[in-house]
Amino acid sequence: MASKDGEKHSPLEQFEIIPMTHNKIGGYDISFTNSSLSMVITVAVITLFLTLTVNPRSIVPNRLQLVSELMYNFIAQLLSDTVGNNGKKYFPFVFSLFMFVLIGNMVGMVPYQFTFTSHIIVTFALASVVFIGVTILGFLNHGIKFFTFFYIPGVPFYMHPLLIPIEVISYLSRPISLSVRLFANMLAGHTLLKVFAGFVVAMPFFTGVLPLVFIVALTGLEILIAFLQAYVFAILTCLYINDAYHLH
Amino acid sequence: MPQLNPEFFVSQLFWLVVTFSFLLVFLWRISLPRIGSVLDKRERKISEDLATAKKLQAEAENIQEQIDSQLIQARSQATNILKQTSNSLQNKAGEELENLDKELDLKINDSAKTIEKNKKESLENIENQINDITKLTLSKIIKLNISDEEIKKAVKSAGRSVN
Repeated sequence: MASKDGEKHSPLEQFEIIPMTHNKIGGYDISFTNSSLSMVITVAVITLFLTLTVNPRSIVPNRLQLVSELMYNFIAQLLSDTVGNNGKKYFPFVFSLFMFVLIGNMVGMVPYQFTFTSHIIVTFALASVVFIGVTILGFLNHGIKFFTFFYIPGVPFYMHPLLIPIEVISYLSRPISLSVRLFANMLAGHTLLKVFAGFVVAMPFFTGVLPLVFIVALTGLEILIAFLQAYVFAILTCLYINDAYHLH
Repeated sequence: MPQLNPEFFVSQLFWLVVTFSFLLVFLWRISLPRIGSVLDKRERKISEDLATAKKLQAEAENIQEQIDSQLIQARSQATNILKQTSNSLQNKAGEELENLDKELDLKINDSAKTIEKNKKESLENIENQINDITKLTLSKIIKLNISDEEIKKAVKSAGRSVN
């Protein structure tokens, strides 16, 4: 994508997709881009870390293996706390989702690395998978009764014409809120970092140190947010799966 | 905003599907079972060790009880043996004392008899000699032949009165 001179130093420039190869299948452009590279790096980091640090024969784990086990237990605990015993089936999916978002965010924190979770299309796709999957799960578990999910018991009958549409809208907006939350956090954080980085260069004399200090602090905050958003994504997925089992 | 440019939407979705599917399958099939098996193994090992420890503790308590009971038994046996030994020793000592008493009695009796005999013999000797002397004296004083029997009788009667 040819960028104009005015956009050269835009804080949003970092979100530009740059194709590295040009491939087309059936008229669709599936070029390998910097976003794809980030995804591949993310998946490589996750799979290599989880494979290399875990020695199946070791009873006593070393530090790195402990990290893998902690992550495993963290998500397993999250699932059993929110969904209970039904949740074991979805553990690989929730774990993959959590790791994908978490490491994707973390890879994005590396300077010059692209943050694929800052693209609404990616987060929306992930959220849609969760939404569609959970909806199918709900219908599989409850059949047509799944629609009672929108009916809140114990409310005066004249409230239902108001409440049912609200429930339906809130249900349908789940993938949007789920995806926009992650996307907006990543977008805002990285934009902020870039803006302050611009200040470092733009400020006269040594006053540029001040925004640099801010960048250091913000980087810490961003790493926290990177984890937090992955956690929120995972826990909301768990809660949605729980909803598919226990309607109300 | 580059996020709203649909030019690379398909590419992003395509690579998302590719990478995430790979990740999901890889973790599902390889990584997670491995970690899960390690955790399971550890949990099993810990519970096994705990069970073994419990068993060993029970065994140790058992053995301790056995030792205690054996000690009590041994102590009572020892006191029994001590009692028996002292009893038998006392009996033996009593018997030996009795035996000694008997022997001493016998010896005392023997001695008394010997003394009596000696005394008798001595007295007889003395009597004989008195008889002889009497006879000799009488024969010297008066020429009278007196039989030994008569002298004996006379001496005896005299002796009796003297005695």
